[in-house]
Amino acid sequence: MKKRAVAVLLAGVMTLGLAATGLTGCGNDSAEGGTENVRLMVWSPQNDQSKDNGEWLQTMCNNFAEEHPEWNITFVYGVADEASAAGQVAQDPEASADVFMFANDTLTTMTDANALAKFGGKYREEIEATNTQEVLDSLIMDGDLYGVPFTTNTWFMYYDKSVFSEEDVKNLDTMLEKGVVSFPFVNSWYLPAFYIGNGCTLFGDGTDESAGVDFGGQNAVDVTNYLIDLEQNENFKIDDLGSGIAGLRDGSINAMFTGSWDANSIKEILGDNMGVASLPTFTLNGEEHQMKAYAGSKAIGVNPNSKNMEAAIALAVYLGSAESQKAHYEMCGTIPCNTELLADESISSDPVVTAQNDTFNNTSILQPFVSKMNNCWTPVENLGKGIRNGSITHDNAQEQTEGMNEAMNSDGI
Amino acid sequence: MGIFKKRVNDFPTPYTCTRAIREGGLETKLSMLLMGFGNIVHGQRIKGLLYLALEVIYVVFMVVNGIGFLGMLPSLGSVPQEEVWDEAKQVYMYTKGDQSILILLYGVATVFVTVLMFLAWRGALRSAYKAECLAKEGRHVNNFVEDLKSLLHENLHRLLMTPPVFFIFAFTVLPLIFMICMAFTNYSKIDNHLMLFDWVGLDNFAALFDSSSILGSTFWSVLGWTLVWAFFATFSNYIFGMIISLMINRKGTRAKGFWRFCFVLSCAVPMFVSLLIMRTMLQPEGAINVLLRNLGLIASDASLPFFTDPTWARVTVIIINVWVGVPYTLLQLTGVLQNIPEELYEAARVDGANAVQIFFKITLPYMLYVTTPYLITTFTGNVNNFNVIYLLSGGDPVTDLASTAGKTDLLVTWLYKLTIDKQYYNIGAVIGILTFVILAIGALITYRNSKSYKEEGGF
Amino acid sequence: MAGQKMHSAKRKRFINNSIVHVILAILAVIWVFPIVWVVLTSFRAEKGSYVSTFLPQSYTLDNYVKLFTDTTILNFPQMFLNTLLIAICSCILSTFYVLAVSYCLSRLRFKLRKPYMNMAMILGLFPGFMSMIAVYFILKAIGLTEGNLIKLALILVYSGGAALSFQIAKGFFDTIPIAVDEAALLDGCTRWQIFTKITLPLSKPIVIYTTLTAFMSPWLDFIFAKVICRANSDQYTIAIGLWKMLEKEYIDNWYTCFAAGAVLISIPIAALFLYMQRYYVDGLSGAVKG
Repeated sequence: MKKRAVAVLLAGVMTLGLAATGLTGCGNDSAEGGTENVRLMVWSPQNDQSKDNGEWLQTMCNNFAEEHPEWNITFVYGVADEASAAGQVAQDPEASADVFMFANDTLTTMTDANALAKFGGKYREEIEATNTQEVLDSLIMDGDLYGVPFTTNTWFMYYDKSVFSEEDVKNLDTMLEKGVVSFPFVNSWYLPAFYIGNGCTLFGDGTDESAGVDFGGQNAVDVTNYLIDLEQNENFKIDDLGSGIAGLRDGSINAMFTGSWDANSIKEILGDNMGVASLPTFTLNGEEHQMKAYAGSKAIGVNPNSKNMEAAIALAVYLGSAESQKAHYEMCGTIPCNTELLADESISSDPVVTAQNDTFNNTSILQPFVSKMNNCWTPVENLGKGIRNGSITHDNAQEQTEGMNEAMNSDGI
Repeated sequence: MGIFKKRVNDFPTPYTCTRAIREGGLETKLSMLLMGFGNIVHGQRIKGLLYLALEVIYVVFMVVNGIGFLGMLPSLGSVPQEEVWDEAKQVYMYTKGDQSILILLYGVATVFVTVLMFLAWRGALRSAYKAECLAKEGRHVNNFVEDLKSLLHENLHRLLMTPPVFFIFAFTVLPLIFMICMAFTNYSKIDNHLMLFDWVGLDNFAALFDSSSILGSTFWSVLGWTLVWAFFATFSNYIFGMIISLMINRKGTRAKGFWRFCFVLSCAVPMFVSLLIMRTMLQPEGAINVLLRNLGLIASDASLPFFTDPTWARVTVIIINVWVGVPYTLLQLTGVLQNIPEELYEAARVDGANAVQIFFKITLPYMLYVTTPYLITTFTGNVNNFNVIYLLSGGDPVTDLASTAGKTDLLVTWLYKLTIDKQYYNIGAVIGILTFVILAIGALITYRNSKSYKEEGGF
Repeated sequence: MAGQKMHSAKRKRFINNSIVHVILAILAVIWVFPIVWVVLTSFRAEKGSYVSTFLPQSYTLDNYVKLFTDTTILNFPQMFLNTLLIAICSCILSTFYVLAVSYCLSRLRFKLRKPYMNMAMILGLFPGFMSMIAVYFILKAIGLTEGNLIKLALILVYSGGAALSFQIAKGFFDTIPIAVDEAALLDGCTRWQIFTKITLPLSKPIVIYTTLTAFMSPWLDFIFAKVICRANSDQYTIAIGLWKMLEKEYIDNWYTCFAAGAVLISIPIAALFLYMQRYYVDGLSGAVKG
């Protein structure tokens, strides 16, 4: 009886042991002699993969596969829009795409999670050859390049040509005399334009975290006072929850500030009267100051956990090349940033392209993407809301501005 | 102290672990090492083999993975990602470094599994001892089939409770323990501790209780508002729901089904849709203000400060919550209300009581007695009522520019902002724990002292 | 004399009834009004998320048509089917869990009964979303985070915590007299038979209540669903889809469709409510009458 029990026990242990060793043996891709089997997972917004727009991503990936017969590539596609891709990749880099599209201001989310690979050597040279330094700066941290830019990301101004002339739109106060202007006052991606225009700085040149934020002092208080008056102006409307574009629709608003994502809707509304321009100046204490938008880029990144780094990096560079950007523009309307393409007449004749790139080059600053930038959004938004609901007036403008500055410089802990 | 009564064991059994160790025979003592051995010896072969298999799986798991996970738990990993420049391919090659969050999770899971295994070991020991005792006394020892049958009868609770409890452990308890552990680390965006973080003990708690820091002062004010909100939200829904239910149920009301349907319809539309719509409607330029302007009730450029003035915002949120919550209250209380014995009402009416007096002297006390657990659950639910506050006001207005929380933020929405927006995971975990501690003490005291718990079965 | 008294008593009752009906009508209007507004918005022809007029100026069916035909960006029919499947499975599982647990806690006596009830009350006090990451990695360890298995993962997650909300069901079971059970035991039934043959048929109202609440939650939750679905857009649930319609690139074109989608989701839930009405009133108060 007891002997049988021991025998059964030993048998059980042996079988389990064999099973365990057997299971660990499998799971390697075999690389054959000539072509290598490569599997690449690619993420992009739904827009870029949809049949309506000609399946830009799939077409480009297939072109890439044809150009590289040494790899036998299987593509797996997933959907992640540029703003949230970083979060998805950072959550679980191992199970994420090899190549994906991300917005540059989410760069630190990924580098903090060790989820973004650097570009070097010949690939970096290729990227640098066809992009302006400012665009590259949006993806360079500590001297390393982290993505392949394929478009700039900023906001500019759309206006009704029948109300404003090209001269008028150069200055905000002139515009306010002639027509109604709507601005996203309570959105902290837009409001700092006035402060930066009057000399406020963020982290030195944008990369020096220790320099902190300087949204205080007389500069800032002057702007706050200007904003309080601006909000009271009859011809100035706050654009919140879509009221700007609704105003364009029913004619109560003649100019608004937004980006290229609304271009199609506005074209539908204004038709030939659609005017697009880079940001105007504003007059403060008799002097003209240039409104400066936050600018960034959208880029293609590579996952450092990729099993085929070479193929992934090559694909990323290809997806950001002139050929791909041209197709992207034609199929999906994405504004290119490749210098060769921008010199091309057929593309630079599009007013939206010109406005976006003018804004990027002349009337914007690079949005800092250091970690502490995270603290800079809520205080500005609260200042805007405070002015809107009247709790911030000329009497307490100084105090409130200093409060905002302190909040932007603190972790909130 | 009422809570710490000496625990009385209502289910004594002679087959305990300590007795097994002290008085068991050789086969029982061997079962301590080889689970299931005692069972096999006394004829319960299948049961014994099952216990044995369980032990083998556990040992294999520990040897292959478990010991490693436990070993890394104190240090939480320290190897950063490594990068090598490959000149031939012109790319950077990376080797994965340690990821503290995964180490923490796997470590906690291993501890969890070990604890469960310990409980299983105790169970095996007890069953071996029981088999031995029964065999010694010459009584029948269940074979496997009979054990299975007992699952349908005496041990039905084991059969029915195990699947739900298993999932609760896997998806609720384990993540919870994991979150509690997070509170003792520095897992946060500050100083870049998102990949590799360390244990910091009680430092986070100290920061939270320090009222001179921004965090500390925010915590106490948010806590105060949370308690006020939960109280008003719970009782306003409760009373209002009861009144509406009474109005619908009374004899003279026609078309009861129709009225009920009207009120309950607002449950059907997903909460985030209706709340978002209401939020849009109550903005300074939203539909309600436009309507009021058109009706001439307010000046043409004024707007009612629904979400821009702190007090208005707080009142608005409570009122909108009544809109959201009354349908649910209606559904849950109607049945109970109908069960109130008719004789009580008739007697009161004969004595000349009017509707208001009946409500306060008969209905309300009866309902409070029957639905106390429900009230407590609703109160705690409202303390953690994320949806209504986050979707409706987003925590607005924020009067203190430096603070991370607004005037209508609850602990849970503040927690969300800290965790998801700012990625201060450890502080979020601390707030979660403190919320829990405050609620748990309150709830447990109330619940255990309530009549419903004490007089269970006295319905 | 008596006639007059009766007449005035009747009048009093009539006045009371009318007052009550008027109040009910006003309240009903307040409650139904936002729903009506959503429905009207779903038929609105003007695009965009902001309106300067209170009621839509022109109406159209295009929004509904767009939901079903324009599937390249947001595949509404597929998301609807995904969510329907998840909702049905999770509500079956949840109902089983709740019934099993409530029956055990109400009828059976075992050592861990009171500790379990205390634990259930406590676990509800923690905010759920802190554990999202942990749940994702647990599911990944089991292998449920790829492809179609994501639906299974969501079913397990949504039904996983169901056994903590047993209070109402337990209260209901408590009202069934123990005598019924004892009689059956004397007749030789096992407890399992009592559960399936006696208690379950009597608990129709509870089944319906639990089914309804369990059915609703997959339609509404987007936080968990987003964490688990990640980039697999073919596994998205309706809630994720509706949220996507509110993103700044889509909101202008899709806001009215968002309202239309919300109306479409509400229809099955409202229908379930209607169906449940009759069981609801009779049953939830007590099981065995007379």
